[in-house]
Amino acid sequence: MKKDIYAKMQILSDSAKYDVSCSSSGSDSNYKTGELGATHNSGICHTFSADGRCISLLKVLLTNYCIYDCAYCVNRSSNDIPRAAFSPRELANITINFYKRNYIEGLFLSSGIIESENHTMELILRVLKILRFEHKFNGYIHVKLIPGSDEALIAEVVRLASRVSSNIELPSDNSLKLLAPNKTKEKVLQPLKIARDLSLERDNKAIGMSTQLIVGATPESDFDILKLSSVLYDKALLKRVYYSAYIPVNDDKNLPAILTKPPLVREHRLYQADWLLRFYGFSYDEILTSQAPNLDEELDPKTMWALSNLHLFPIEINRASKEELIRIPGIGVRGAHKILKARRFKKLGFDDLKALKISIKRAQYFITCEREFQREIALYPENIRAALIKPEPKKQPSLFDVSGITGEL
Amino acid sequence: MILRYDGTFEGFLTLVYEVYHQKYKPQLIEKPSLHPKLFDEAIEIEYDGSKSQKVLEAMRQKWSKQDIQRVMHIFLCDTKAFELDLLNYIKLGFKNAKELQNINNSSVFFINNLEKELFRHYHRYSGFLRFEELEDGTLYAKIESKFSLVYLLGRHFSKRFNNQNYIIHDIDRSLAFVKIGDSMDVRQVSEFEEPLRSASEEKFQHLWQTFFDSIAIESRANEKLQKSLVPLVYRKYMSEFE
Ligand code: SF4
Repeated sequence: MKKDIYAKMQILSDSAKYDVSCSSSGSDSNYKTGELGATHNSGICHTFSADGRCISLLKVLLTNYCIYDCAYCVNRSSNDIPRAAFSPRELANITINFYKRNYIEGLFLSSGIIESENHTMELILRVLKILRFEHKFNGYIHVKLIPGSDEALIAEVVRLASRVSSNIELPSDNSLKLLAPNKTKEKVLQPLKIARDLSLERDNKAIGMSTQLIVGATPESDFDILKLSSVLYDKALLKRVYYSAYIPVNDDKNLPAILTKPPLVREHRLYQADWLLRFYGFSYDEILTSQAPNLDEELDPKTMWALSNLHLFPIEINRASKEELIRIPGIGVRGAHKILKARRFKKLGFDDLKALKISIKRAQYFITCEREFQREIALYPENIRAALIKPEPKKQPSLFDVSGITGEL
Repeated sequence: MILRYDGTFEGFLTLVYEVYHQKYKPQLIEKPSLHPKLFDEAIEIEYDGSKSQKVLEAMRQKWSKQDIQRVMHIFLCDTKAFELDLLNYIKLGFKNAKELQNINNSSVFFINNLEKELFRHYHRYSGFLRFEELEDGTLYAKIESKFSLVYLLGRHFSKRFNNQNYIIHDIDRSLAFVKIGDSMDVRQVSEFEEPLRSASEEKFQHLWQTFFDSIAIESRANEKLQKSLVPLVYRKYMSEFE
C-alpha cells in the first residue's frame, strides 16, 4: 500500500529521533541576494520537543529500510517495523516549505542503507542538488555520510553540505565487532577522513564534522570515551562529539535488557566533561585517569576536578587570570567575563559578585575576595563534598540541560 | 517630582535637555497615560526637535556607537519602566563615557541587563516566530511580545528570505515590518483584515505537527523542562502546541 505523506513523516522522523545532534550553530552567515536561506552563527531553536530537546533542523531519515542488522539500531533488518522512504524531490519540497514558515534552520539527513551504500549516497546527493540548485537554498544542511560509499560521491556531498558527520556509535573496535559486524572503526572513520582532507585542500578550513557515541550499551569507561573524543578533536577530525545514553530498543543477548533505564546522568556528565575539553582548556587526563576512570554522578566534573586539586585553591577573584577564573567550580565563561570587567573599577567582594548575579553557591568554597572567604566549611575534599551535595536534591538532568547550552558549569 | 514625556526616543532626549537646563530632579518619569489622574502633578515635557538634536549630538561626540545604540535599543523595551535608570545612565556617560562600562553602578547594570533581555527575547522569537503562506505567496507572521521586535526581526529575516515577500505583524502595537521586492520598512497598521492562506498551508502545518510529535522520545518526556524552554506566552502562534 502506498503510504501517505503524513505516515511517511511519522515513520521517518520517528526512526531518526535517537540521533541526538541538533546543533546548527557554528556556520558563518552566508546569505546571497535573491536566494533563499542563510545559516546563523549562534544556533537558533525553533521549538522544543516534549522531551525538552531543541528542534532546529528537520531531522529525518530518507528511508528506514536497511540491509544491515546492527544490534543496537531500531532499523535493523530483522526488526518487524513499518518502513517508508521519501523520494528526494518530496523531501526537498518539505524542507523548503518548512524553512519558509520558520519551522527550521535546515535539514539533517540520515538514512538506512537501501540496496547498497552507493545507491543510498546517490539518493542523498539528489536531495542536496535539488535544494541547492533548483531552490537556490543556502540554509543549513547536515548529512550523515554513508561509510563504505565511494570517495567521489562523498566528495560531492561534502561540497554541497554545510556539515557532515559519520556516527562512530561504539567507543571501541571490540564493541563494534560484537554489535555491528558490518562496521569497523576504520570504516566509520573513512568518510570523516575523506571529508577532512577534501575540505582542507579546498580552503584550509576543515568542514565542521560531528559524530555520535552511544553510552551504556557496551563496557567502555568514561575515561575511554573522553580519551577517544579528545583524540578526535585533536586530529581536527571532529568539531563535536554527541553522547547518547543507550535506550534499549531491541532484545539482544549482547545488550542491556530492554527495560534498562538509559544512563541519563552519565550522559549529562559526559557532556559537561566534553565542554571542559572544548572550551575550558582541560585535557582528558586532568579530568579522569585509568585508575579513577568514571565521572562522579553527584558532582559535576569541574567540581570533581577541583576537589582533587585543592592545592590550587582558593583562588583570589581580584587577581586571577581568565584561565584560572573559568576553572573555579560554578563560574562559567560568562561569569569570568563579568568579573574581569567589573574589577577594573573596584575591588570585588562577595556582595559585589551577588550584585553581578554570579551565583557563589558552589564557588564560595574555592575563592577569596581580598580578605573575605567562607569560614564555615574546612577546606577538605570530604567537607566540601558533603556541603555541596546535601542541600541540593538530585534532579533529573535533561538531554540538553540548560546549563549545557549556555556553557555555565 | 514627576516628569512626563511622550514615550519616544526623541521625546526622552528633550527631557534630558530640560533636566540639565531646569535642574530637575525627578523621582519618577512617566509615559503618557490613557487615564488622566485627578491630582496630576507631573511636569509635561514637550518634544522639541532642536533640543533633542543637541543631546544626540553631545552623545555622538562623547560615546561609542555601541553605547548610543544601546540607548535606542532600550526604547524597544517599551513595557518596562526604564526611564530613571536611563536618565542616570546618560548623565553618568556625560560625566565620563568610560563609566558606561562600570557594571558595579546599578543603573549601568540595569541598562546592560535590559538590553541583554531584549536580545534574548529577540533571539527566541527569531526561532519561535511562525510564518504562514498567503494566497499570493507572501509569508505572514503575527507576533505578540512584551518588547517591540518587528524591526530587529524584519532585518533578521531579510537575510534568509531574500527572495521572498514577507510581513511581520505586531498585533498589540499595530506595527508591521513589510518587505516587498526590494523595499523594506516598518509601517503603522491602521486597518486589518485576516488575509486568506494558500491552498497548501494546512498541509504543511499538519506535516510539521506530525514531525513535532514523532520526534519526541517518550521515555524522556519532560513537560516542565519544555515549558521552561518554550514558556506558554510564546506559544500562541506556534501550531505544534495547538
Ligand atoms: S547500518 Fe545504520 S541503519 Fe542500518 S542497521 Fe546499522 S545502524 Fe541501523
